[in-house]
Amino acid sequence: MFSEQAAPTAQGLLAPPSGQPPTFPRVPVAGYSDLSQPFRLGERSFCRQYAHVYAVRLAGMRPLLERRARGRWGDDIALRRLSELQEGEKCCVVGTLFKAMQLQPSILQEISEEHNLVPQPPLPKYIQPCDELMLEDELQRIKLDGAIDVQRLVTGTIVAVYGREEEDGRFLVEDHCLADLPPPLPWSGPSSDRFVLLASGLGLGSMSGEALLSTQLLVDVVTGQLGAEGEQSCAAHITRVILAGNLLSQNTQSRDTINKAKYLTKKTQAASVEAVKMLDEILLQLCTSVPVDVMPGEFDPTNYTLPQQPLHRCMLPLASAYATLRLVTNPYQASLDGVRFLGTSGQNISDIFKYSSMDDYLEILEWTLLAGHISPTAPDTLGCYPFYKSDPFILTECPHVYFCGNAPRFQSKLLQGKEGQRVLLVMVPDFSATQTACLVNLRDLSCQPITFSSFGADTED
Amino acid sequence: MEQPRRITDSFPRRRRGPGRPPGRLKDRKDKNKDKDKAQLKVRECPRAPSQPPPDPALMEMLRRFDLSWEYGPCSGITRLQRWERAQELGLSPPGPIRDALLEHRDNPDVTYRWDGMGW
Repeated sequence: MFSEQAAPTAQGLLAPPSGQPPTFPRVPVAGYSDLSQPFRLGERSFCRQYAHVYAVRLAGMRPLLERRARGRWGDDIALRRLSELQEGEKCCVVGTLFKAMQLQPSILQEISEEHNLVPQPPLPKYIQPCDELMLEDELQRIKLDGAIDVQRLVTGTIVAVYGREEEDGRFLVEDHCLADLPPPLPWSGPSSDRFVLLASGLGLGSMSGEALLSTQLLVDVVTGQLGAEGEQSCAAHITRVILAGNLLSQNTQSRDTINKAKYLTKKTQAASVEAVKMLDEILLQLCTSVPVDVMPGEFDPTNYTLPQQPLHRCMLPLASAYATLRLVTNPYQASLDGVRFLGTSGQNISDIFKYSSMDDYLEILEWTLLAGHISPTAPDTLGCYPFYKSDPFILTECPHVYFCGNAPRFQSKLLQGKEGQRVLLVMVPDFSATQTACLVNLRDLSCQPITFSSFGADTED
Repeated sequence: MEQPRRITDSFPRRRRGPGRPPGRLKDRKDKNKDKDKAQLKVRECPRAPSQPPPDPALMEMLRRFDLSWEYGPCSGITRLQRWERAQELGLSPPGPIRDALLEHRDNPDVTYRWDGMGW
C-alpha cells in the first residue's frame, strides 16, 4: 500500500545530481485535537481509598448494562440487587466481578515472616483451575457458578448475569453479558491517503547497538532522507508519528545503586540519563519534520500508576523547542483528521494477560473494547490513581483506531459492530525486539507493518 | 457578655468512639484543634460564638446522608464532594443537604464526614 504509491520517477538516484532536486511537501496537519483531558491529573491526593473507583465504575456502567440485559433477555426480566435475591427466582444482577486467585501475588503473604517463605517469583500467568468468581454490587457479594468462563474473566469487569440463586447461596449463571461496543462516532475521515506511524518500545539505553541502526532508519524514512523520490513522496503522506511508550529500555531501571553504600555510587549516573539524551536527539530529528506524540510507558521516567502523566519537557531540551513535539498521557485519546485514536502503552493488556486464560493479545484488546473499559484490572493488580468522582477508563464512545503498544508481535483487525461501529484494532510491536512499526491509513482504516531490519553478523542473507 | 466563657471553650468538642487512642492520626480536623491550642495564649478562641453551632437535627441529617449506601463510600472526601458526585451520577441526592453544607461551609464538623469510625 505504502510503496505502491511511489512516484513513477524513481530515477533520481541513477542520474547526476540536478540543480533543483524535487521536493515533496508533507501533507499539512488538518484537524488535530487532544482529547486526553480526563487522563490528566492536576492536584494529586492519595489519601483516599480505592473503594471510590469501584463505586463510580459500577454506578457509571450500571445503566448501560441494564439496557444491554433487557435487550438480550427480554424487556420483562427482573433486575435485582443482591440483597433482594430470592432463592430459585430467575433474575438478572449487575455487578463487579472479583476473581479469587490462589497464586495472585499478595504483599501480606510476602512479608509474613512466620511462614518463612520465599516470595513467589513473577510468573507469566497466575491462573489456576481452582480460581473462583464472585459478583459484588454495592452491598453484598455472591459466588458465581455455571455457564461463565472463570478462567477468561478478570477482576474489575462490570457484568450482568442471568440465572438464579441456589439453596447453598451460590448464584447459578445461565447466561452473562458485558457492556458490548460503545456507541459509534460519526465518520469524517480524510478522502485522500494520510498515514500515521505508530511505534513503541524504542528501548533506548539498552546495551545493544543493533536496535539503534533500526531506529535511525525509521527516523530517516519518516523525514524523507532515505530512498529515492518514490519513498520520499510516500513519506510525505505521513502526517503524524505516535510513540506508544517504553522509549527507554528496561535496563535503565536497574536499582542496584539504591542498595549500595553512598560512597560507592557517588560518581555513577543513572542509566536513564544517557538514554534520555539519546531520546532527545532522536526526537529532535523527528520533530523538525513531522508532529510527534510521545506517550510514556512502563520503563519511562514518569509516575507508575495509570494514568501516566506526560514526560516533563525539561528532560528533552532540544526537542521541546519545537511545537511539533507533544508530550501526552498514557492512555492517549486524540482526534486526528476526524479519526478518533485511543491507545495505551500496553500495561493494561499485559496485566489482563497475566490474570486471564486469553493468550492472544489482539483477543484481549478486543475483549477490553467489548467490556467497555480500558483497564478493568486497575486498581486490583495494576496501579491506578484513586479517582473518586468518575472513572476515566470507561469507554463512552467507540474510537476508530484502538491501539496498544509494546506487543510481542504486530497484529491488526478491523472490527465491525452491530450499530455501525468500525474499529481498527492495532497491536503495535515492541520496536527494540521486532524492529517493526505500523502505518495506519486514515482514509480506509487499514494498517500495514513496516520493518527496519539490518543485517547482523549471524544472518544468512 | 452573653454567657460566661471558659478557657476550655477554645477546644472544639469531639465525639469520641469507644477505644480510640488519645494521640491521633492524620485528619485535618486535628490540625484545626492543634492550631487552636497553640494560639490559646495569644488571642481569643477562634470559634467565637458569632456563628451559631449547627443544630443536632442538622448533624443527624448529615450523618444519615453519610451512611446511606446509595451514594457510594463516604470516607476520604468531603460531604459536598460526595453530594456533587451523586448528583452527576444521577442518583438525585436530597437538595436540603447541599444547602446546609454550603451554609455551614466553614465548620469542619459539617463539611467532613461523620467521625464515628475514628478515621
